[in-house]
Amino acid sequence: MPTSPTAVPALRAEHLSKRFSRTVAVDDLSLSVPPGEVFGFLGPNGAGKSTTIRMALGLLRPSGGHVEVFGVPAHDVGRAHRHLAYVPADVALWPALTGRECLDLLACVGPGTDLAYRAELLERFALDPDRRARTYSTGNRQKVALVAAFATRAPLLVLDEPTSGLDPLMEREFRRCVAEAAGRGQTVFLSSHQLAEVEAVCARVGILRQGRLVEVAGLPELRRLRRSEISVTLARPAAAGAGLSGVDGVADLRWSSPLELTMTLAGPPAPVLRALADLDVVALDVREPSLEELFLDFYGDTGGDHRSAGEEVWA
Amino acid sequence: MTTGTAPAPTASAAGWTPEPGPAGRAVTALAVRSVRRGAVLVTAVAAGMPALVAVQHRQLDQELAGASLAALGENPAIRTLFGPPVALDDPGGFTVWRTGTAIAVLVGVWAALAATRVTRGEEETGRWDLLLAGPSRLPAVLLRHLAVLLGASSLVGVATAAGLVLAGTATTGAVLFGALIGGTGMVGAALGALAAQLLAERRAAAGLAVGVLLAGLLARMVADGVPALGWLHWLSPFGLLGRSAPFAADRVLPLVVLAAAVAVLVAAAATVCARRDVGSGPWRRPGAVRPGARRLRSLPGLAARRTGRPVLGWGAAVVAYFLLIGLLATTMTDFLTENPRFAELAAQAGFAELGSVRGYVASLFTLLALPVGAFVASRVAATAADEVAGRLTLLYSLPVRRVRWLATELTGVAAGAVVLAGAAGLATWLGATWVGADLSAGAALAGVLNVLPVVAVCLGAAVAALAWAPAAVLPLGVLPAAGGYLLLVLADTLSWPGWVRGLSPFAHLAAVPAGPVDVPGLAGLLAVAAALIAGGLAGYRHRDLRG
Repeated sequence: MPTSPTAVPALRAEHLSKRFSRTVAVDDLSLSVPPGEVFGFLGPNGAGKSTTIRMALGLLRPSGGHVEVFGVPAHDVGRAHRHLAYVPADVALWPALTGRECLDLLACVGPGTDLAYRAELLERFALDPDRRARTYSTGNRQKVALVAAFATRAPLLVLDEPTSGLDPLMEREFRRCVAEAAGRGQTVFLSSHQLAEVEAVCARVGILRQGRLVEVAGLPELRRLRRSEISVTLARPAAAGAGLSGVDGVADLRWSSPLELTMTLAGPPAPVLRALADLDVVALDVREPSLEELFLDFYGDTGGDHRSAGEEVWA
Repeated sequence: MTTGTAPAPTASAAGWTPEPGPAGRAVTALAVRSVRRGAVLVTAVAAGMPALVAVQHRQLDQELAGASLAALGENPAIRTLFGPPVALDDPGGFTVWRTGTAIAVLVGVWAALAATRVTRGEEETGRWDLLLAGPSRLPAVLLRHLAVLLGASSLVGVATAAGLVLAGTATTGAVLFGALIGGTGMVGAALGALAAQLLAERRAAAGLAVGVLLAGLLARMVADGVPALGWLHWLSPFGLLGRSAPFAADRVLPLVVLAAAVAVLVAAAATVCARRDVGSGPWRRPGAVRPGARRLRSLPGLAARRTGRPVLGWGAAVVAYFLLIGLLATTMTDFLTENPRFAELAAQAGFAELGSVRGYVASLFTLLALPVGAFVASRVAATAADEVAGRLTLLYSLPVRRVRWLATELTGVAAGAVVLAGAAGLATWLGATWVGADLSAGAALAGVLNVLPVVAVCLGAAVAALAWAPAAVLPLGVLPAAGGYLLLVLADTLSWPGWVRGLSPFAHLAAVPAGPVDVPGLAGLLAVAAALIAGGLAGYRHRDLRG
């Protein structure tokens, strides 16, 4: 197994950009993922996530800037790919090969595979490897790539929407595998639409919008920057406004009844708590925004019913 | 929908009533889009080539002496290779003899390949799932595609006939010949559609359809050469073309048989189609395999696995053809020694020194560059298809440089080409030895290896196309062999200037084993091939990967 110096970032992009004729797919993207981190890479369709990943893999050549894997330029795939394993968004296999042949080939040519762990993964993902790839469903092809990637001891796992074809049971297994990989010290770069999944496994996220990285932050940090939702129930009606509307950081103040109010809060809660101290509060609920709400916030979709969307994949 | 419009009672939620008409028309339009480019190209060749030859015949006909003609008709080898020579004194008759088989093979193979590509190929990639989610059902979608292909074939036939009429040949013969060419295209299309219903993989279906067509060509050759087996004509579209004898006998019955064959094949395709699941086929290989049956542990192993089956398929066709060439060695040379007039004509048509066994096989070995060149181009095209389909993405996420995989793949393809050429040489030697012709195995092998530099140029052109024009790998890869051969024949018959002739790779090949190897010529071809391959590898290394 190749040794990787821990001082250099697992993945580093500097002023990376990619233009396809007139379209700018990725624009001046700078990013550094330290070794051992589980990093979530978010963005709607067409934001440039896959293009960024394909440049990091040397499949596309950047129009500007550069990207490195453990300090090795991405275009030097002979060296850079000794440090990584990849699961593409859309896994295509040679139809006449069996799953086992694909796995064997990837193991023999790839950066080193733990065969015992691979056998365990085959069990856990319930994949029958002795079938031709032609007969595999989208999810099964994805499982082949996932098993191959998780079974490597490559210090960086690049996963591009790896669970789009998996059922909830397999998704749970996937989250466990990410946790195990993180436990072994592997870096995980996870591009995903499944915000609950990112929320569950990632320590830090980067949010991409129209080819630009608009935010990179740890999840708690990200929440602090954003609004939390506060609902308050009072024992008796308060005087008009109750002195809350002028408080720092409070917005969207709404009285659903004379005894119930909701508001959103940005910044530290101390001023609003001082204001609430004067009222007869019987219940107070502070809810941190979900990643989905944060995500929608970034894309300006603040209106109405998006919260009912649950864990939908945005198409 | 505007507010003023009253909704129809059967309108769906979107205010739109599904009708079979528009959906069906959309499917037809899709089929037209998928085949039109190839159809235009094939039509141009099928209309242009015979017309050109018919015009060219005016300079030749008075030279054809009556005795020579009679001898031509009686010689089994001539009948076998070029088809039955009838009415050679007529421009149309000469054209049919000279180009009929080649045009029929071109149109038939194109139609078969196009049919498997637009039906099973689209289905295999899952694109038909979207189509079939609409009101159209599988047999309807198949039949609409097939109808478009049959229409395209008939257009090819009309263009062929029109070209000949414009060139001044007899109208009846021209129309009959055009109908037979169009009918052969229809047989190819229907055969392709049937194979695509039986087999679940496009490549296998295309191989089956083209294999059956080429078996038809061999059946025609055997039927022409062996009078006792003359009935084989009725089983092959190429045989029917001979039986019909446009411009000589102008028989219509073979055309009726051809039409009946099309009807039967279409009915069979529709029947199988109606009884199968989408994405499946009755002759499907089982999906599950015995655990651990085969191991795949290296890139060369993968390259070998990908090349092996195509080599077997192409090899079977090449061996069958060259075995026949070997078996005919003596009849052919005896005939040519007795008929020097014909030898001269053959020389003008690109077959020089047919008079000795070695001269005869040397001339036919140059033809070998066409199938082997097509083989290498098709394998590089398969690599381009892998890239678009995303099958190379996982491979290139391993510590595998693109040049390393491509070089591995190309090594496999080159080895396959050598195997094909060697098999052709051995088959010729076997056939010639069987009939007691004077041809050593070494001479036969020298002859087939001599054409490999042309194949190398095809490989180079295909690799360069992979780097800079990845959508056109197959046509550009075949160009040096097919285009070069055509150019040489045209340059020789129409006395074009030497530099134009020199553009053809075949101009730099000596007739081995009849004469010594043209070392500078071969070195030049290999240098061109090496430059193309090196440039292609460099370009492929630097460009963005598609898919």
